[in-house]
Amino acid sequence: MADLFVLALAIALPFLAAVFAPLLYRLLGETVGYVGAVVAAVCFALLLTQVGAEGTVSTPWIPSMDVAFRFTVDAFGLLFALLASGIGILIFAYAREYMHGKPDLGRFYMALLAFMGSILGVALAADLVALFLFWELTSVCSFVLIGYYTDDAESRYSARMAMVITVGGGLCLLVGILLIAVGAESVGLAPFDLAAILANRGAVADAMRAQGVFLPALALVAVAAAAKSAQVPLYVWLPGAMVAPTPVSAFLHSATMVKVGVYALGRLRPLFHGPEWMALVATLGMVTMTVGALLAVLATDIKELLAYSTASHLGLMVAAFGFESHYGAEAGAFHLFNHALFKATLFLVAGIVAHEAGTRAIDDLGGLREDLPITAGITVLAALSMAGIPPFNGFYSKEILFEAAWEAAVHGGGLLWLYPATAVFASVFTVLYSLRFLWLFFGPRPDGLGPVHRAPLGLLAPPAVLAVAVAAVSVVPGVAIDLLVDDAASATAVSHVEIHAGIPTSLSGPVVMSAITIAVGVAAFPFYDRIRASLERVRAATTLVHPTVGYDALLSATDRASGLVGRSVHNGLIRTYVWWVLLSACVLTVAGYATATTGLPTPAVAETPVALVLVLAVAVVAAVAVTTADSHVTGVLTLGILGFMVAIFYILASGADLALTQLVVETLLLLIFLLVLEELPAYYGEIDLLRAARDGALSVAVGATAFVSVLYAAPDGAGAPTPTASFFTNNAIPEGGGANIVNVILTDFRAFDTLGESIVIVLAALSVLVLLTMRDRGETQ
Amino acid sequence: MSLLALAPMLAVLLTGTAALLVRGWPRLQRGVSVLGTLGYAGAVGSLCWQVVSGGAVVYQVGGWRAPFGITLVADALSAFMLALTAIVAVYAVVFSVRFIDDRNQRVYYHPMFQFLLLGATGALLTGDLFNLFVWFEVMLMASYVFVAFYGNAQHTAAAVRYVVLNIIGGVLMLLGIGGLYATTGTLNMADMARVLADPGGVTGAVVGLSALIFVTFALKAGLVPFQFWVPSAYRAAPLPVVAVFAGATKKVGIYAIIRLYFTVFGNADLSVAVPGADAGSSIGFLAPVLVLMGVASILVGGLGAVTRDSLDELFAYSSIGQIGFIAVPIGIAAASTGSLRHLGVLAALVFAFHHAVTKGLLFLSTGVIRDAVGTTRLSRLGGLADSSPAFASVMLVGGLSLVGIPPLAGFFGKLFVFDAASRRFAVAAAGTETTAGAAAILLVLVVGAVLTILYSTRAWMGAFWGGQTEAVVRGRIDPVEVALLSTFAAVVLASGVGFEPIVQFADAAADAALDTDGYVDLVLGGERS
Repeated sequence: MADLFVLALAIALPFLAAVFAPLLYRLLGETVGYVGAVVAAVCFALLLTQVGAEGTVSTPWIPSMDVAFRFTVDAFGLLFALLASGIGILIFAYAREYMHGKPDLGRFYMALLAFMGSILGVALAADLVALFLFWELTSVCSFVLIGYYTDDAESRYSARMAMVITVGGGLCLLVGILLIAVGAESVGLAPFDLAAILANRGAVADAMRAQGVFLPALALVAVAAAAKSAQVPLYVWLPGAMVAPTPVSAFLHSATMVKVGVYALGRLRPLFHGPEWMALVATLGMVTMTVGALLAVLATDIKELLAYSTASHLGLMVAAFGFESHYGAEAGAFHLFNHALFKATLFLVAGIVAHEAGTRAIDDLGGLREDLPITAGITVLAALSMAGIPPFNGFYSKEILFEAAWEAAVHGGGLLWLYPATAVFASVFTVLYSLRFLWLFFGPRPDGLGPVHRAPLGLLAPPAVLAVAVAAVSVVPGVAIDLLVDDAASATAVSHVEIHAGIPTSLSGPVVMSAITIAVGVAAFPFYDRIRASLERVRAATTLVHPTVGYDALLSATDRASGLVGRSVHNGLIRTYVWWVLLSACVLTVAGYATATTGLPTPAVAETPVALVLVLAVAVVAAVAVTTADSHVTGVLTLGILGFMVAIFYILASGADLALTQLVVETLLLLIFLLVLEELPAYYGEIDLLRAARDGALSVAVGATAFVSVLYAAPDGAGAPTPTASFFTNNAIPEGGGANIVNVILTDFRAFDTLGESIVIVLAALSVLVLLTMRDRGETQ
Repeated sequence: MSLLALAPMLAVLLTGTAALLVRGWPRLQRGVSVLGTLGYAGAVGSLCWQVVSGGAVVYQVGGWRAPFGITLVADALSAFMLALTAIVAVYAVVFSVRFIDDRNQRVYYHPMFQFLLLGATGALLTGDLFNLFVWFEVMLMASYVFVAFYGNAQHTAAAVRYVVLNIIGGVLMLLGIGGLYATTGTLNMADMARVLADPGGVTGAVVGLSALIFVTFALKAGLVPFQFWVPSAYRAAPLPVVAVFAGATKKVGIYAIIRLYFTVFGNADLSVAVPGADAGSSIGFLAPVLVLMGVASILVGGLGAVTRDSLDELFAYSSIGQIGFIAVPIGIAAASTGSLRHLGVLAALVFAFHHAVTKGLLFLSTGVIRDAVGTTRLSRLGGLADSSPAFASVMLVGGLSLVGIPPLAGFFGKLFVFDAASRRFAVAAAGTETTAGAAAILLVLVVGAVLTILYSTRAWMGAFWGGQTEAVVRGRIDPVEVALLSTFAAVVLASGVGFEPIVQFADAAADAALDTDGYVDLVLGGERS
């Protein structure tokens, strides 16, 4: 049975160590790298105790949302977690030597440790929200680590690109998760309980299909995995990530973080299993496998070569998990394991080469076996494994992929034969670039290459340990398979799984595929430079595959749009702002009337005295005159006429208090206006006819909207006074002690309003003082 | 017990007045202001405790029974919004003491700060429509002064734009309130809800009239196309006040939309035929409006933020976009009934909480930079992480929360908003409706979130990574400010890690927002029986 304490400790320990990493660095200096190795070793040991255990444990996090820290122990999760912590030990030890003398190591180890905790969380999480939590944290750590050399513009560019793509992909995962939760909830499961969802995968999948969210969820999960695991066309961040220090590249960007997407596909494979899954995921993987391999051949830098190769191998794993047959599960899980071993080795080798030879340019390197004999030996094992040459472990898993592709084609026929064909095509290039990497050691030594030092033990030991692991799995694959890999593949499969690893003894389709791959690859290797040159011509002709074109286009498009929003939308002109605000207000209000009413109301027209008509007519004339006034002063005076007419209207409508207020306000306004106008230029400029027409139309619309609103609101004159009105009338004298109802309302019934308005007046007074005091002061002394 | 509903307003009113009285003693004035704000937070805290544990509190001002006098109503929705206002206010006022020039603090800064809070608090607590207008005015009047506070041309211009647009809003609001009063015969919101729910008691005109008021709320919240004032006003006002603007007063607009349209109009006996909205929804009219405005805000705000040079302007645009993330789920709620309506409101509240603390932290962090370097222009910043790794981490927490990285506060905001949109999609996909609309909403949310990543990374990396500019080399980051903000960052982290109480509170607030009958009983219950 899984042990919650052990699992929680294994995940929490790296985070805890990360918190103290800056402090430890201050105390211990660079030795803190070994502390990291110890932490990784403890995690590895803790996880080893769980081998053979099964089950899910949980501790609540947000009970009202049914979100918990659920952890599942099964072979697939353990395989991934053991790989991460095991390789972690070697990476930390290697980093101690490699990062010697580099700045900011506190931050470096903090991020690296937090990353390890996150990746263990991803591997063990059995709750969709918790999985997402750790998934995103790996992206953040990756961002910090890619941007390690913060002064370098390329580092910053690559860090941001990685963040945008992986976290952007995370958004798709989020929506995917939420759609899965919809399905889970409808069959009565806790919405985010991944273990329960997988245990009831048939019911959940059916429910998702019934609700029409199955395909969207599938597509979103695939996009998220593609972003994280560097699939076409989202792979572009991975080569950029190579600006990070080599231990980071080896750990995050080959062995673990980039496998998170693949891992998630493997995890969710049983839920989404079916023809749609294969059509999308297997195709995605195959395309990436091919594009990655081609670009690896084109690479001019050893880390770049390895980066594209990583993308290609990730494509292989994605394709494997995409195939419907049990071979798919086997190839995916087994290659995940094998690739982590040989690719981490090769990255560490690349680090040694760069460190000792002082360059990473492929064309400047060669003949290194003389200077770095042990490294050369290590490279032979790892590179041949990467190439898929028997009897190395990379061959075993790739052979199973060939079986999966072959099986799919035999089963489906027709276009599906493209799968095995593509697999062979891509693998030929895999052989090519693997041999090219090996050639760094065995090819001729270029004249320009300076002296190359022996690698120190601290750098040599970690890849050596990994190479031994590669050799061990190659010679006795059965041990690893029986221990974990077979069961791991079962967790991603819907049918029985049994991995056979070994040299094929009988002729079959997949065996022929392997034979063709190796034969063509080896035969073509002498023409490597010519192949590269012709590929280069293709690349030059098709800018689309150039890594950062899409991302740069996104950046420049958003930049352009941003400039537009800044300049054109917010142009600083009050006129524009007011125009849009008034127009929107009118549209909204009129739309409101239109949706909920039928026709305009016809208010009961009381008898209108002639005086009232006259007053309103004068007001209208004044309003028109304001718009044609030829100077500020005339305009203000005319506006005054309008105001005074309104005051007279109040008198005629028996609103004496209102009229008094209006008169005071009008008089004051007139005075203030005249005082201010002294300071303004005398005339407006001319406005063009179009704008005048537009503004006029809007004015009419505003007036009409207000008019219609008043029409709707006007009492029909038939009803009795409202309860509120009656209450005020009846209680003004007995309760409020005043005969003027308006006054009693202002000072008693609704005195709270008056308090607020008094504060407004205080604030107005303060605002005058502030404006006067601050007018020549500004922000600082 | 009912006096508790008055306590927060009383606390700020007294503090504001006291700060005015002691303005001759600047140190004392600052002390009064800080202590008074802490007292306000205490009052809000005990009110929240009372509301959560003992139920909502009603206070009839002046002893005039509802619906004739003015009622203060502190239910879970008001309490929730008050809580986030109080958090931001405390940090903003303490930060002000350190950040604002001593001489400038003496120019009525503290009294006005308190009156700004008073306006926001009154608007969140009042149960009377006209009284809401009054507290809006108080809030606006104080904010006008703050936008113009620094008194240079740029600040004055921003203030004029802000004043002009808000006066238009005020006029429209008055017109709408007058119309609603004329049609329903009451200003008390609970009473209005009762009248509206009466079968046949009301005409469809209230939909249009309420749209007039809606414009004011949208203007306050800064939703497109009413967002024009936001960028320049946020650049002009002192940064601690901007933290309150973005964190708290914008949310008052959101609160008013939820309170009025869900609590008051939600049960109205109206048939509104709007495509895309559930037929049973009397506020279906609002659904397409809010969704469209939300979507436009997300795009305008997100795109606008991408290339802004100064951090305060960048975050101002970001605020426009983030308010869009709040408007969209409210629109989804308006289009739906039952649990999805509840989820939509809950999502908006959770996101509002996140945005209050996260954006509060980010604007105050911008203040630290301004204080240290003298500018917030990214073109003149760089390498601040070398000066203060601690401060870099504080602002990283803010940036990551804005992006929605778990387990920070922002993650749950994002989770809930996407959840509401996903479920809307699932409803459409399961039924006969077309899924295009729901899918488009989801797409815009994703695009908006990607834009957030783009501008957050640009802002943070531009300030903290890269070589140090001359201005940065000369500047000195104030450790006291950083220490203060690191506790704020801890709040952002803690409210994500310990999200359970927050989601429970928000859930209660959403319940309160949707429980029209409960609200009516609460305010009028005793009087009617």
